Amino acid sequence: MPSTALITGSSRGLGLALAERLLADGWTVHGFARGPQTLAHARFRAHVVDVADEAAVRTAIAAIAAEGRIDLLVNNAGTASLNSVLLTPGEVAATLMRVNYLGAFHCLQAAGKAMVRQRSGLILNLTTVAVPLRLDGEAAYVASKAAVEALTQVAAAELAPQGVRVLAAGFGPVDTALTRAVPRGKLAEINERIGRPQGTTIPQAVDFLVALIGDASVPSGSIRYLASL
Amino acid sequence: MLTREQALALVLRRLALLGKELGKPALEQADEQTRLFGEAAALDSIGLVTLIADLEEDIRVATGKTVFLADEKAMSRLTSPFRRTGLLAEYVVEIVGR
Repeated sequence: MPSTALITGSSRGLGLALAERLLADGWTVHGFARGPQTLAHARFRAHVVDVADEAAVRTAIAAIAAEGRIDLLVNNAGTASLNSVLLTPGEVAATLMRVNYLGAFHCLQAAGKAMVRQRSGLILNLTTVAVPLRLDGEAAYVASKAAVEALTQVAAAELAPQGVRVLAAGFGPVDTALTRAVPRGKLAEINERIGRPQGTTIPQAVDFLVALIGDASVPSGSIRYLASL
Repeated sequence: MLTREQALALVLRRLALLGKELGKPALEQADEQTRLFGEAAALDSIGLVTLIADLEEDIRVATGKTVFLADEKAMSRLTSPFRRTGLLAEYVVEIVGR
């Protein structure tokens, strides 16, 4: 049966690569991004949506759901900021929570409702190894992703009776625009700690996500990392 | 637009379908006084969430309008529109008419 996915943050990096992979695998993909998207494919629908804008998210997802099913939501959109906890401006912490946590929350809520109606669906939230590692210098970012992990586990329990699964997947630093501002020494240190001294490429991260999406035996509420922790 | 009777019919029809699905025959006998939420309610929290999700789609099909029943205004009302089927039907009429 043809499947339909919604990926947030699909204009570049991991979101774009995952969209391309799912399209190649036969999925129909809806992509959310704040600006124009370059991906052109007969089964790709680009939507200009800021995930932090609750009304925009609800309207866009309701329109998608009115056309058909939403089998998969990937909450990929995110932002990062590295700074000492004592030096992080409050507005930066608020932005991280707005985009990383509330963005995922809004999308989960809207797509989750469509999935409850279908009595099936998978929601995959992206997190980071920085949460279990309690990485110093990333307090506000880690807190926003820890909130995503907590959301994953509670939503999994709430939606399980209606056949909707919720998972989280996390990586070490993936070579994307998000990590290019991080000093190389810091990246190398993190990669050593998670048993991936060569780091993680976008194709490796996509393979990990696709395997998770395709494995119905993974218990809902699971948080899986591409790492040795 | 929906009349109160039409809205109530949507709510009761959806409750009956949920009753079949959940194995709760009492839901198939619901009327406008049936308690949906709170003590001695017909639905548990998951059942109420399912009813709301399904009903939003029923309303879209019936009226062509996309509505969000569980918005902040609804949740902060002194008398919850989710307390009884009759109140929910009145709330549906109100929200469709906005």
